[in-house]
Amino acid sequence: MFRWALGAGVAGASLLGQAAAAHALESRSYVVSYFSQQFNSRDGDCPGGVNPDDQAGQYAVILQGLGYKPDEVKSMMSEWAKGGDGEERINAIVNARAVINGQNVNAYTHPEATKDPGLKFVTSKVGYGFNLDGKDGEVSFTDPQTGEKGVDNMLSRAIGCNQNFRGSWDAPSAYGEWIWVQLKDSQPAWLITITGEDIDKDGPVTVRLTRALEYLKSNLDGSPRHFMTYRVDPDPRSHNEFKAEIKDGELKVTEHKPLSLLWNALSSPVLNLKNTHLRLKMLKGDTLDGLVGGYQPWTEIYFAFSHNGIVGDRPGLYYAMKKAADADPDPKTGMNMSISTAYRITAVPAFVQETPHLRYQSAEVK
Amino acid sequence: MHAKRSAFLKAASAGCIAAVLAACAPAADAPPAAKPAAQAAAGFEPAPAAVPRLTPAQYRATVADIFGPTIDLGGRFEPDLRIDGLLAIGSSGVGVTSAGMEQYDAMADAIAAQVVLDKKNRAMLIPCKPASDKAPDDACAKAFLSNVGRLLFRRPMTAPEVTAYVAAANTAGTKLNSFHDGLAMSLSAMLSSPQFLFRAPQVTKAAGGQSVLDGYSKASQLSFFLWNAAPDAQLLNAAQKGELDTSKGLERQVERMMASHRVEAGVRAFFADMFHFEDFESLRKDNLIYPMFSRREAMDAQEQTLRTLVDLLIANRADYRDVFTTKKTFLTSSLGAIYRVPVVNDRPNGAVDPWQAFEFSADDPRGGILSHASFSALHSPANRSSATVRGKAIREILLCQKVPAPPGNVDFTLVNDTTSYKTARERLTAHSKEPMCAGCHKITDPMGLALESFDGSGAYRTTENGEPIDTSGTLDGKKFNNSYELGLALHDNAAAAACLVDRLSSYALGRKPAKGETPWVAKLKDDFTAGGYVVPDLMKRIATSPEFYRTVPPAATQTASAE
Repeated sequence: MFRWALGAGVAGASLLGQAAAAHALESRSYVVSYFSQQFNSRDGDCPGGVNPDDQAGQYAVILQGLGYKPDEVKSMMSEWAKGGDGEERINAIVNARAVINGQNVNAYTHPEATKDPGLKFVTSKVGYGFNLDGKDGEVSFTDPQTGEKGVDNMLSRAIGCNQNFRGSWDAPSAYGEWIWVQLKDSQPAWLITITGEDIDKDGPVTVRLTRALEYLKSNLDGSPRHFMTYRVDPDPRSHNEFKAEIKDGELKVTEHKPLSLLWNALSSPVLNLKNTHLRLKMLKGDTLDGLVGGYQPWTEIYFAFSHNGIVGDRPGLYYAMKKAADADPDPKTGMNMSISTAYRITAVPAFVQETPHLRYQSAEVK
Repeated sequence: MHAKRSAFLKAASAGCIAAVLAACAPAADAPPAAKPAAQAAAGFEPAPAAVPRLTPAQYRATVADIFGPTIDLGGRFEPDLRIDGLLAIGSSGVGVTSAGMEQYDAMADAIAAQVVLDKKNRAMLIPCKPASDKAPDDACAKAFLSNVGRLLFRRPMTAPEVTAYVAAANTAGTKLNSFHDGLAMSLSAMLSSPQFLFRAPQVTKAAGGQSVLDGYSKASQLSFFLWNAAPDAQLLNAAQKGELDTSKGLERQVERMMASHRVEAGVRAFFADMFHFEDFESLRKDNLIYPMFSRREAMDAQEQTLRTLVDLLIANRADYRDVFTTKKTFLTSSLGAIYRVPVVNDRPNGAVDPWQAFEFSADDPRGGILSHASFSALHSPANRSSATVRGKAIREILLCQKVPAPPGNVDFTLVNDTTSYKTARERLTAHSKEPMCAGCHKITDPMGLALESFDGSGAYRTTENGEPIDTSGTLDGKKFNNSYELGLALHDNAAAAACLVDRLSSYALGRKPAKGETPWVAKLKDDFTAGGYVVPDLMKRIATSPEFYRTVPPAATQTASAE
């Protein structure tokens, strides 16, 4: 009665259509209440310490890399610290440290035109995610929750030694927390709808990931509001449906198709994952908590970092991801264009309304 | 402007300030006395008419009707007083404090400035152009002030009033070298005058020698009752022609007003008053306990109930008692989250409306206004539910029964002990073992405990502190097992319908009917029952009753001088 799983109408059940007539299917819907890259980088995981963890330290390293002598660097950083014109002058040197054809250009737009600072990688053998390629290699992790070996999360390994990305399951990274707070109130929410014959029991289900027309509604204390109603954005670019299975209260997708969800320019205009893996624990209080992972174009991740500006040596991150990329080799260059990653995802119960009456029109570039 | 205007106010209205409670002079063109419209109920004895102060909603509606909805009042109102269950009665028992008068003055100045000094508004609202902007023009001032004064005072201005306000505009205009500044002074004075702020009835003698309201006072009483606003030009014209003194003429106007969409405002105002919705202004919830319940949800909650009532009672002319059982309502998506039901705010053709018609399913425990958040949240403390407060509200608000106040030395220790007693029923059972508490709790708690399935924000629950909630009880001998069945018990309780008639007749009169008027109220109750409890019919019966307009002059009251 008060179960929000509905057999027809709202709660995403309308997608069932004819199927519902043949089998008594139920649907439960959720709105994503947290979504951010999942890292595992704790004390001892970055031998010799993390990469320079503040802007001043980072700048000092960059200036040294540009050939300034130690006493010059000290003087320049003193000038930078005072603010005003001095700060702007040093910023200009750092920002335009990339060189193309003898001309200084923006280092974040042209990271290849800077020197690779050689950022450290995480050395831990423990990390969250999925075994995407079925192999257990030297750089693979073991997932502490599932015990699965061969876990591929090269994004975590490549950039986890930067202060803003350090963290774990119970202590999310500063970057992850920051960007979620930025995104949740500035983009339409994402929706999850699970459909099956009896969602409380083990068995096959389908899981649908879509984008809403509405933003996530928060309570006065900032917590996500349960049982709000959201409409599905008719834009097909954010329509994803996977076969999945529930076992012992955990949902896992069983077909590993690509996932596409319109996102936000602050992170990436579109979240594109290949070989999508998803596991969601169905918790008390009807909430979901788990991971979604796959291979993601690493340049899309980089250009989010390059303009949101809080993540340290951004060209350094570019080189780190380029080196760690582990999928989608370019046919011509052989360079891997995607990197394995995993995102923490939580969701709270919601009502979801399909919108067959709304027409989608794509923008055309002429 | 304020200080300068005070002098004009004094000059213009001194004659009436002292006399307002004893009724001002009859209007210049008052129609001749006429026979009563119909026969009064046997044994009926009229009582002195009330002199209510305009409520904030009535003040706003009047200004909007006369000058347009864009006028910003720029002030605040004094709190109203609730007497005998209604603010409408309390409004007849209040005056104006000096702080309140300052606010009325400020609003009068703000309104006058927007109406007269704003060139765009002036062009629309002032029917004439002065010979010069820099000098008084008595003819133009008179044309404007006498027209506006008729609407503000709800009767034609007397000749001395017109003379005084025009003279005031002249004096100020001369000193300020501005026709419009002078006119604004006079308009502001009118807006601060007791003739505008108070609805002072004018009593006249009917042909049979009975004291009745004169035509304009009838128009006011009728209009504030049905529309919660001052009479419109049509009603004033009918009063001027004496049409309200005949059954046919009165019925014609009542029919017109009942057919207007504006009757919705009147119904909303009545139920907002009856259900204490002004308390939403100060309603706050502990956000750690009820994070969903913000001011937005509080406003939506009362709107949900008002929309439900208007739809049920006015649009569908349903049985009043169905308000306790109806599954139909209107919700926003925020309320839908509290009620755990889907509410999509889009309409056909891309229109967006946050309010959506919704019908709870037959097996849903929600039904009737007792299951609305407007009831469960409003009648709960900030951090918990309260079976006693809710039960008291049912007795006093919906059944018009008085629950005695608790003694001053109540020990609340057991009521707050959620460790030893998990549910409200356990706590109240323990508390009620105190003999001095038991009596009142017997009449409040059984009903309130049925509503324990709704927490302090109106969300449904089946357990409290891990223990199942028992929602069974009895109301005046009728058993119920849950909140919906409590609604059914109220539906079938004769006191509920009788209470509505008592409240509505009191609301219409602006006072509790006197002993001599009880035959009229009894007849209204009989007719309401016989007619199937249709609220618009009850409103019409009140509005067309001769008893509604019978009165005696107010008792002479000593009032403050105009100093």
